[in-house]
Amino acid sequence: MGFVTQGADVALVSLQGVGKTFSGRTGAWEAVRDFSLDMAEGEFFCLLGTSGCGKTTVLNMVAGFEAPTAGRILLDGAPVERPGADRGVVFQGHDSLYDWLTALDNIGFGLRLRGMGKAERRAKAEHFLRMVGLTGQGAKHPSELSGGMKQRIQIARALANDPRMLLMDEPFGALDAMTRAVLQGELSRIWAETKKTVLFITHDIEEACALATRIGVMRRGPGGTLKAIVPVDLPFPRERTSDEFMRVFREVHGLIHDEIHGAH
Amino acid sequence: MALFMMRSTVRIDRLTTIGGYIAGFALLFLIWHLAAVYLVKSTLFPPPMPVLERGWMLIEDGILQEQIIASLRRIAQGFLLGSAIGIPVGLAIGSFKPVRWLLEPWTEFFRFIPAVAMITVSVIWFGIGEESKVFLIAYTTIFVVIISTAAGVGAVGRDKIRAAQCLGANRWQVFGLVALPATVPYILTGMRLAMSNAFVTIVAAELIASNDGLGKMLWDARLFMQIEDIFVALVALGLLGFATDRSFRFLIRAFAGRFNATV
Ligand SMILES: Nc1ncnc2c1ncn2[C@@H]1O[C@H](COP(=O)(O)OP(=O)(O)OP(=O)(O)O)[C@@H](O)[C@H]1O
Ligand SMILES: [Mg+2]
Repeated sequence: MGFVTQGADVALVSLQGVGKTFSGRTGAWEAVRDFSLDMAEGEFFCLLGTSGCGKTTVLNMVAGFEAPTAGRILLDGAPVERPGADRGVVFQGHDSLYDWLTALDNIGFGLRLRGMGKAERRAKAEHFLRMVGLTGQGAKHPSELSGGMKQRIQIARALANDPRMLLMDEPFGALDAMTRAVLQGELSRIWAETKKTVLFITHDIEEACALATRIGVMRRGPGGTLKAIVPVDLPFPRERTSDEFMRVFREVHGLIHDEIHGAH
Repeated sequence: MALFMMRSTVRIDRLTTIGGYIAGFALLFLIWHLAAVYLVKSTLFPPPMPVLERGWMLIEDGILQEQIIASLRRIAQGFLLGSAIGIPVGLAIGSFKPVRWLLEPWTEFFRFIPAVAMITVSVIWFGIGEESKVFLIAYTTIFVVIISTAAGVGAVGRDKIRAAQCLGANRWQVFGLVALPATVPYILTGMRLAMSNAFVTIVAAELIASNDGLGKMLWDARLFMQIEDIFVALVALGLLGFATDRSFRFLIRAFAGRFNATV
């Protein structure tokens, strides 16, 4: 499965002492403190943590939607200043899809921005529609698609743009358990096919164990930060009932349990 | 099969709606008839039949159409002019903070001065020709369209904009390919509201300063105590407004129905 688990290569993304303090009506809130992480090209990094620990905040900073208030984030050695086509984002909800465009045109949106011709764009979009298992559904509008289908379209839209990395914020969080398991399997396959670097946010331990090459467990806020990194050296596709899988699951569960326990 | 069933259900829905409208109007005319014949019993409140007969006469003479066309032409001109100004201004207010700060006092000021209150100024400025009426309709259209367009821009989901940004969109692409299409349903809704304001305004304007149109017809009929003519004009207004609004709703559905299942 040629992926790199530890930062042996030069990091694709490097978060160095990153912090984020929000200042609002209720005063200042330090959501993230001293968050450091190097991600290697091609790895699937799951960021796992309880609700409100700062996962989305970290992702938003890597995406360039929000600026860190401390530390810095480097992408290929250059500081991240704004969102860019090199970082595709799959959002938690599906409000990010364009209701007025068909599924196919949603997928081809990034290509259209680059001025790609209609025929070529269509062919490429069809390719990614097939990749996410929605062949023949391209003419539908988002309002005619189920929640799971919409997330597939989001993934296809991000992939069609051929970014350096994918940032995914609990993409399957709102789906039922069965759909979620199916989509996890497909994402794993797509990741192996496309060799994209993925930063994947979740609060589902099993999901993290099934997908990740490394799992970062976060400490809850204020001042949320990385508490531990657990490498997952299991082959794909992952056998969820294997002893090896259970061993990783228990280890991560122990780390998370302490967090939850500390909360109450 | 499922598709066919859906289609025919839609058609049955449509037939039911039209049937409902016809029944509703029939009931309205029936109550009018009963009220006029048995309750009011006054020459000042004619029952529907004489009014419809008079209306038919005015149509045969070509008079009613003339008034209707005069009024509708003014509405169309002012409405299009007002929308053509209101939409871009609303987009600019919704998109750029400085424009909002600069222009919001304007919109907040003028929208509380109804077009009816502007009739006198408009007549002084433009006389009783076409210009004054077109100005008033445009005036009444502009602010409604601006406000709902700007609100639409403000309501564009944050994730939609962010998604475009991380797909590589620049500012203009975000505006033209995301903010603008996402705002279309709001623009159309604003125009629909403005259209009903336009009906109010045109009658008032023609009552006071005009040589033709439905408002003028109302005014003349009052002067000469032609009570049936008054009612013909009223019924014509109601039916025209109803038809215009329905067509607008139809347009909104045709253009924006797929934007949002709830439109
Ligand atoms: N714009 C903001 N202004 C003020 N505080 C914020 C803002 N965004 C997030 N926060 C706070 O920062 C903390 C972390 O929020 P964040 O959304 O990153 O959590 P999360 O880990 O993604 O949680 P969840 O799993 O529920 O999505 C929370 O306490 C939240 O209240
Ligand atoms: Mg979150």
